[in-house]
Amino acid sequence: MIPRLELRNISKRYPGVVANDDISMTILPGEIHAVLGENGAGKSTLMKIIYGAAQADSGEIVCDGKLIEAHNPATSRALGIEMVYQHFALFESVTVVENIALAVSGAFDLNALAAQITELSARYGMPIDPWQRVHDLSVGERQRVEIVRCLLQSPKLLILDEPTSVLTPQAVTKLFETLRQLASEGCSILYISHKLDEVQELCDSATVLRNGKVTGAARPKETTAIELARMMVGSKLPEMHVTPSVRSEKPVLSVRGLSAPAGKSGIALSDISFDVHGGEIVGLAGVSGNGQAELISLLSGERLHRDGGSIGIDGKPVDRLDAAARRKLGLTFVPEERLGRGAVPPHSLWQNAVLTGHKAGLVRRGLVDRGKANGFARAVIEKFKVKANGVQAAAQSLSGGNLQKYIVGREIALQPKLLLVSQPTWGVDVGAAAFIRQTLVDLSRAGAAVLVVSEELDELFEICDRLLVICQGRVSPSLIRTQTNREEVGLLMTRIGGNNETGRSGQVALQN
Amino acid sequence: MRFRIEQRTEPSASMRVAAPVVATVLTLLVGSAMFAVLGYDPLSTLQAFFIAPLNSMNGLSELLLKASPLILIGCGLAVGFRANVWNIGAEGQLIIGAIAACGVGLFYPDPESPLLLPLMVLAGACAGMLWAAIPAFLRARMNTNEILVTLMLTYIATLFLSWLVHGPWRDPAGFNYPQTALLPAAAMFEPFDYSYRLNPSIFITGVAVLVMWLFTDRSFLGYKMSVGGAAPLAARYAGFRESAAVWTGLLAGGAAAGIAGMAELSGPLGQLSPQISPGYGFAAIIVAFIGRLNAFGIVLGGLLMSLLFLGGETVQLTLGLSSSLTRVFQGILLFFLLAADFFIFYRIRLIPEHA
Amino acid sequence: MHNLNRRQFLQYSSAVGAAIGTGGFAGIANAQEVLKMGVVYVSPIAEIGWTKQHSLAVDAVKAELGDKVEITVIDNIFMPQDAERVFRELAASGNRLIFGTSFSHGTPLQKVAPRFPKVAFEHCSGIVHLPNLGTFEAKYYEGCYVAGAAGAHMSKTGKIGFIGGFPIPDIVGPANALLLGAQSVNPDITCNALFLNSWFDPGKEKEAANTLVSQGCDVICSMTDTATGVQVAGEKGAWSIGYASDMSKFGSGKQLTAFTLDWSSDYLRAAKGVLEGNWKPEVRWDGLAAGVVKMAPYNEAIPADVIAKLKQLEADIGSGKVHPYAGELKDQDGNVKVPAGAVLADADIRGMNWFVKGMIGKLS
Repeated sequence: MIPRLELRNISKRYPGVVANDDISMTILPGEIHAVLGENGAGKSTLMKIIYGAAQADSGEIVCDGKLIEAHNPATSRALGIEMVYQHFALFESVTVVENIALAVSGAFDLNALAAQITELSARYGMPIDPWQRVHDLSVGERQRVEIVRCLLQSPKLLILDEPTSVLTPQAVTKLFETLRQLASEGCSILYISHKLDEVQELCDSATVLRNGKVTGAARPKETTAIELARMMVGSKLPEMHVTPSVRSEKPVLSVRGLSAPAGKSGIALSDISFDVHGGEIVGLAGVSGNGQAELISLLSGERLHRDGGSIGIDGKPVDRLDAAARRKLGLTFVPEERLGRGAVPPHSLWQNAVLTGHKAGLVRRGLVDRGKANGFARAVIEKFKVKANGVQAAAQSLSGGNLQKYIVGREIALQPKLLLVSQPTWGVDVGAAAFIRQTLVDLSRAGAAVLVVSEELDELFEICDRLLVICQGRVSPSLIRTQTNREEVGLLMTRIGGNNETGRSGQVALQN
Repeated sequence: MRFRIEQRTEPSASMRVAAPVVATVLTLLVGSAMFAVLGYDPLSTLQAFFIAPLNSMNGLSELLLKASPLILIGCGLAVGFRANVWNIGAEGQLIIGAIAACGVGLFYPDPESPLLLPLMVLAGACAGMLWAAIPAFLRARMNTNEILVTLMLTYIATLFLSWLVHGPWRDPAGFNYPQTALLPAAAMFEPFDYSYRLNPSIFITGVAVLVMWLFTDRSFLGYKMSVGGAAPLAARYAGFRESAAVWTGLLAGGAAAGIAGMAELSGPLGQLSPQISPGYGFAAIIVAFIGRLNAFGIVLGGLLMSLLFLGGETVQLTLGLSSSLTRVFQGILLFFLLAADFFIFYRIRLIPEHA
Repeated sequence: MHNLNRRQFLQYSSAVGAAIGTGGFAGIANAQEVLKMGVVYVSPIAEIGWTKQHSLAVDAVKAELGDKVEITVIDNIFMPQDAERVFRELAASGNRLIFGTSFSHGTPLQKVAPRFPKVAFEHCSGIVHLPNLGTFEAKYYEGCYVAGAAGAHMSKTGKIGFIGGFPIPDIVGPANALLLGAQSVNPDITCNALFLNSWFDPGKEKEAANTLVSQGCDVICSMTDTATGVQVAGEKGAWSIGYASDMSKFGSGKQLTAFTLDWSSDYLRAAKGVLEGNWKPEVRWDGLAAGVVKMAPYNEAIPADVIAKLKQLEADIGSGKVHPYAGELKDQDGNVKVPAGAVLADADIRGMNWFVKGMIGKLS
């Protein structure tokens, strides 16, 4: 059989990083092929190269036996390669059919197109209404729009980049059915993920990447999860030392009855209450887009809540205090977005130290003390082993993981009483992730209160003392880590307070 | 071979230095070619453009006199530009500053008071700030676009000036021509030497440059503003208030432009007429960007703009080049300067075709 | 010097040369030397307009004096800040006669002239005089009066339209004369006046001309530095009156006439005066008689007998028989400003800031 797609020795380097190093793989027609790897392993870069959105520095791509030249997304589509991005590119203010019409080359008839969409979406078991406006759709429905858009082109190869990160387990099951049906019709599917269980459930074959290199090829259904994990993270899995927690008597962070209306494309928070004590790590689990971002920005003070409820830090009400004032009370915060929020991209690392470190003696009499800022930045770089070209390096020149280490390091170096962390190890290599987790544990054992927001259940189970689950803007009562399990948490991720019926078509698909 | 423009991961330090040099060389080459084609000797033309204006004390005095308002306003504007606060209405703030200063100069009860001049500086600064406070308020409170508001307020300022000099402030002894009476001597900056026009207002500009440098390069407030400009979400994350940046940026520009207006009035003008600024408020925007929003860069930018202007006059006086031609040449230089800066942040890559 | 009042102005007008000029410049003139002369234009030289007319005068000087003069010209100098520098530069680099051609050059000339007492300065449209600063100006109103009469002969609607650059006496006075000339033919005629607050803004001027035509004006006179008024009138089928230059080629055949400016006599007199060592700072204010104001050829559509009348009117104004501002003159509100039998005083003409009866529009 002629492979649908063959990659030969693909390499791609960005300044300071080898994203793909001599990668070769083969995908047959009708095959569901997984590309497995941790965040930062080079999966997304590879997919962009296959789709033509990025160019390889060297290597060849062969499609149906023919070498692809002058590669770009247009040539890919002409060859039948379609891609569903992790973050959708839809215009929210217009209807589904209008969005899809934009992707159709040449003349089109909206009514005919709508009929086609209805027919196609019904055939693959994912009904959507072509005349609905996109901003009224749930995340799962939006993903269907993207998939239908691809299917309209009768693709020979469909690339899906982490498609389940925004879906509930039920929506995932439905998606898998659709994908299997597609594959049975001869369409090859490239499925990018770092979730072992999904890959084992869905995929026929898998290529595993680590640090930009192929570290193994496997048949997931015939391989154990442990073997796959070892290929993903390398042989040595670092060990964690989690000593028992000694909780402070009074909570450092206390949230009572917090509610907030949905912002633009956001989700409303309703009646959230929880405490975080000194000396403990509390984890907030949940499918992304269930109100984590809204909650964390209310806690950090980047947004102020106007509805009911109260937030207290160290016993003081902070509802009316902005981010700077809350920081004065001992709060520090690592946001999910590192570039542009946690750090100023064109600023050097020492300048980025001043961003939140100004209260730690880096500013005197209104003037920035460059010497001290340099020293502070250098200490963080050394302690957290940040790979950077000195304190003068611009934040945007660092890789995502290294910048994450720098930001985590900076916030911890400020010796917080309360640390909020979003996705602490997202995109960080395994060793560094272990170091960051260990640091969080150590910080809490030294008496600080730590709230960790993460999509990685494994991570939360590894370091947290208690777990909260957020779903649809509601937060569950806390669960003691040692007295709960993944199944219970997984269940709570989809149904808190019986409020799980959201999808118009009866499917659970959570609002973004 | 194909070309592609890529953003550099880090601004190129070597291009930072090389860009102005490259731009100058290219300008000289293109300009020489242009002059030669038109039948002028390139060398003597360039000599008249860049060297002759600096050959005399008077030339230097004029250079500084013209550069001073450009630098002063450029510094004020750059404070805002660094925080993405786009005040392009410095021309209007300059006019209002000049009007306020003129009001004090004409109507202060004691026309010989030594307090007159300082009061006029104060009036100019306050009026410029007041005029800039309107867009600041509207942006901070109602999120209006300050580009539009500042620009429109410039027209209002121009019309207000026109109304004043045609109406209530018209010189009663001036045959109804639209201009105010000349200001009393105590309301004027006394030139260092009556043979030249340069006056002590240049010291105000000097102080402004130092303050601007200290503010943007060393102060925490300036740091906060640069964060707001480069990454608004990071500013919010750190708890820096956006409205503070908007107010600071606009008021700095307004104060600088207002003082510049006062200095024009109490320096070379001596009276108000319907048009008092040769576009200093707009030229200062170019100066700020040529100077890369850096205090000392702005000094160089202001001197360059001033020199270009004087040079244009000199070539017209000595070689008879038309003013349109000199403007083309000025355009070429500015184009190359700003275009070369592009390569500090971007580069062109050659992409070999697949075999 | 700026505290000149009207009475002093009159004194200057009559006697400034005699009072301070005599002999004062004999010493600096030297007939053997080439006269270096500098001229500062307010705008670039265009095909028509204010600066073009000055350049024609400069050409006339070149033609008549040949290599006895060396002329340096610099154009596009409007702002006072820049003008002062250029005047200094010209004076310092050996020019012995320097012309400013814009009202905005006035204050700079007043500042520079005292620093160079041996240099002769001439200011077109100036109002201030110094021992080495003379002024010259044209009696636009004389040409305007004749043009107004021509317009009244041809107007069917009895409405004239006037577009002015700025509401300054130099423009307001001629606007009044335009209407007074028209009223001398048809006492009921009126004039709508608009001001652009710019000498050069073709867009705004086009809008203004369209407005006037739509208000029923079928004769348009525009005192700006463009031919737009003449052009738009022609396109709309209205008659037009040109100013400064003959604009007939822009008028689609509808330009009735133009009151053109010819400064040659002023330039030549000054240049010869400095060359011969007898230059005096004068206050020159000439019109049709001296040929500083000239009527462009009348449109062929005007009946021959009317043209004859207009030419007679030119001659009568030149000889003083007809004075455009002869009483009785009333202002817009009907107040008598000049009683019957009198004429408006020269200083009041140069400071005219009121509209005569029949003008429609506001000053300010």
